[in-house]
Amino acid sequence: MFKLNLKIALRNLWRNKSITAINIGGLAIALAAFLILMIYVTYETTFDKDNPNYNHIYLVGRKSSAFQTNFTPPSLSKEIKANFPEVEAAGTIKHNFFEFAINKDANTVFAKKHIFIEYEAAKILNIKPEHGLTQPAGDEFIFYLNKPYMETLFPGKKDDKPEMVSLGSKSAGHTGKISGVIQTDAHSNIDFDVLTVVKELGKGENYGYNNYFTYIQVKPGTDIALLTKKIEKMYRANTAKAFGEPDWKEINSVNVFLDPLKNLHLRPTAGTDTNYKVVLAISVLGLLMLVIACINFTNLSIAQAAKRAKEVGVKKVMGVFRYQLVFQFITEILIQCIVAGGVALILAELILPAFNSLFEINLNIWHNNTAIFWQLPAIIMGITLIAGIYPALVLSGFRPALVLKGNFQTSRQSYWLKNSLLVFQFAVAVIFIVGLFIINSQLKYMRTQDVGFKAEQVVAVKNMAFFTDPKVFEPVREKIMQIPGVKSVTVANAIPDGSKLGKNGYTAEGKKETLGFLDVDFDYFETLGISLKEGRFFNRAFKSDTVNSAILNESAVAKYGLVNPIGKTIRGCSMDYKIVGVIKDFKSEGFENAVEPTIYSLNNPCGNAKLEILIKIEAQQMSAALEGLKRQWSSINKLDGDHFRYQFLDELYGRLFKKQEQLQAIFFVAAMLTVFIAVLGLFAFAKYVTNARNKEIAVRKVLGATDLQILKLLNSSFFVIVLIANLLGWPLAYLLTKKWLETFAYRADMPVTPFVLSALITMGLSLLTVSIQASKSVKAKPVDALKYE
Amino acid sequence: MIKLENIEKYYANKGVKNYVLRHVTTQINKGEFVSIMGPSGAGKSTLLNIMGMLEEPTYGSYFFNEEDVTHLGERKKIELYRNHIGFVFQAYHLIDEMTVYENIEAPLLYKNVSSGERKSRIADLLDRFNIVAKKDLFPNQLSGGQQQLVGIARALAAQPAIILADEPTGNLQSVQAEEIMELFKKLNREDGITIVQVTHSEKNAGYGNRIITIEDGVIKEDLKIG
Repeated sequence: MFKLNLKIALRNLWRNKSITAINIGGLAIALAAFLILMIYVTYETTFDKDNPNYNHIYLVGRKSSAFQTNFTPPSLSKEIKANFPEVEAAGTIKHNFFEFAINKDANTVFAKKHIFIEYEAAKILNIKPEHGLTQPAGDEFIFYLNKPYMETLFPGKKDDKPEMVSLGSKSAGHTGKISGVIQTDAHSNIDFDVLTVVKELGKGENYGYNNYFTYIQVKPGTDIALLTKKIEKMYRANTAKAFGEPDWKEINSVNVFLDPLKNLHLRPTAGTDTNYKVVLAISVLGLLMLVIACINFTNLSIAQAAKRAKEVGVKKVMGVFRYQLVFQFITEILIQCIVAGGVALILAELILPAFNSLFEINLNIWHNNTAIFWQLPAIIMGITLIAGIYPALVLSGFRPALVLKGNFQTSRQSYWLKNSLLVFQFAVAVIFIVGLFIINSQLKYMRTQDVGFKAEQVVAVKNMAFFTDPKVFEPVREKIMQIPGVKSVTVANAIPDGSKLGKNGYTAEGKKETLGFLDVDFDYFETLGISLKEGRFFNRAFKSDTVNSAILNESAVAKYGLVNPIGKTIRGCSMDYKIVGVIKDFKSEGFENAVEPTIYSLNNPCGNAKLEILIKIEAQQMSAALEGLKRQWSSINKLDGDHFRYQFLDELYGRLFKKQEQLQAIFFVAAMLTVFIAVLGLFAFAKYVTNARNKEIAVRKVLGATDLQILKLLNSSFFVIVLIANLLGWPLAYLLTKKWLETFAYRADMPVTPFVLSALITMGLSLLTVSIQASKSVKAKPVDALKYE
Repeated sequence: MIKLENIEKYYANKGVKNYVLRHVTTQINKGEFVSIMGPSGAGKSTLLNIMGMLEEPTYGSYFFNEEDVTHLGERKKIELYRNHIGFVFQAYHLIDEMTVYENIEAPLLYKNVSSGERKSRIADLLDRFNIVAKKDLFPNQLSGGQQQLVGIARALAAQPAIILADEPTGNLQSVQAEEIMELFKKLNREDGITIVQVTHSEKNAGYGNRIITIEDGVIKEDLKIG
């Protein structure tokens, strides 16, 4: 019997080839999208998950009303370990903030993401050198390279003996010992290419040297809130001890937080949760697509019902139980779902490379997610039940006395359900269309809006020599300026690529505020084309500029409420600065965050080393100038080395848009797919409805209706459906996009056109789809439809 | 075999009762060949549907083989369908996706008849109805008369005691109709199968041995012939 049912199912599917293809195709597309999105979401939410102590590891951070940061003093981890028995282990990490070269003979690699890690932190974070983690003795540095670097430096190396290399510029003569190869894991929060394991970091540095990340591993069952309070109390007491005259008000304004390892990738306390929101949005999106496909499936299966009614009636009078019929129809739907699943896997495999390049990751259906072997069948079973149970019940519920009479028409009662499912599908499509247009308009706004500085033709040069003192940088600048095409040169401790500024407290007119600080050199504002609001830029003609001159941005002036700020004094880092200029705000951190109130100075004892060289070059002479810089680099900048490496500032800044561009791409695809699936559903549904109304159409024609009138008649009901879908979709789309726009400090106004366009697009498509279907019925001769069977 | 007592059937529409059957009391014995006749809308098909338990009467009782089946659960009804009742329809109602062979086989599958038994019974039926050559064709490849032959073969496959036929020749040309009626007569005479048919045609009714005439839901005449 099963075999016979299977045969009937296959013959049936084959006979309605077009509808079967629509059914399976729609489901397969949605399933493929769902699969990829789920693999991506799984990837994003499982960073470091393979760490055996995943749930017990925390990063210690500090926050106040003015800042949130993971940077902590080096001694904190030892103090935590010594004082709190519930902390099983604690250790620190320090990121190297400059790139350096590692040379062996003619081969060179650049350590781009070098980190120093304490032995204990390495144990907590499950760092695995190829031959096991060994404890450094005393002041020993154990230096590891990742595999590609090792292979570049020592091609053909077979043994695992340590090797000597030279570090940085060859002429500088620094050497180091490579202890071995280390496994790196892109799927981890601890991202590095070169790693140095030490016993203790930051010896001799105390509170105030907030350059270290403190990781702790707690014992299972620890009360984290309580531990946080205890650490906070200790931190405040030790801070007070470290500074002679403690400012208790300031000390007490700083809170300690423990950020669990599982939050660090997507929603760190000291950072944005944009990624988390994007991942959340993507999961919802994947689910929605699947739901729409299921609805489509249900709708089409019911639409087919009339064709199966006779079979149901006959089988019932043969003595078939209803559950047997339900089982039969579910089996049919299962077959389609399995085929769709297979097609979906193929589609996913085809789409994945494009997805990977968009998100700059390397996902693989089979490797990242072995769970797929049970997940996919489970999903298919789930869809079968969700999409199949209702049609199966409807079909198996036909009463033989009605069905077998001959002129059977499915009741109009189930229309409201089909119609509301169709409304739902189109409403979702409307939301995606509106969303897509609004994302587009915000991105267009971001690309065309004046960011307050000009990143074009500015080259950011990688450099590991400290140019904190303007006198040291001056000869380097002079040499660079001699290269034809170079317009200006400067050095600073950060570049406007979205990187966060360091922060410190400054007092002006008796008011103390936290400001971001940027340590610059002469020509910084000129190089970046930043506009002056009042006063002047830094200038070599003023001797005091290298001592205590400062420039504020508009936001900083507003924060203090300064009137006529030029000439006034601002105090910070135990020195008095004289304000010599005010610049217009520029969006160095992109559009999501408001411009940071910032102080710019040449001399900042509390600042960070100036390493970032920025060079503005004439557009026409760009390649020649870069060539010249490359050739002369070792003589221009002896301390840095033999390799001139640069990036274009506009490209670096453009990366800030990357997440939003990814979202745009995802939305584009999702909008296309949902519209496509909705239209597929409408296509089949229209076919069914027009077929069911064939007799009515024939009667109307006999009564004298023109083709156009009948087309209008058939379209009108669908028109209403799409209209309702738009009316339902708009407010939801408005709320969602408004929420999204609110994540930007600088955003475009909510436009009206997307809403109008979504209506036009959905209505145009439905008009086209229905008319194509209806034209067949309209053209048919009335006699054929009216003939009595 | 069939005993109807005071059967009534009406459809209530906005409080108005539209009677289809009134006070129908009759008995059909084993081995009879009954034709139900009457004008359109008289309630013939409804009466047949009640006999086939496709519809339930509003009032009255129905005994099938001495057993009260007026309100029967699905399980019991299906047991009767599988073993005692065969249906033949005016529009044949063969399953379009099944071949002739599969159509005849279907009721046997639901009855869990063994595969060997199925084969021999179907072979026997195909042979008897002269449609062996057509066994792998689909219904839409057959003429109306041939389709009805298959329909009857299907009804007979489960070896029922009674066949209920709703205008079995209504869609057929007269030559084919005669063949079908001859077949019914033979089944009734030789195999002792009880047959109840609804028909419009005096000529077809003449093949049976009893005619029940219904008008406006009431039995007007119950005539034994032959």
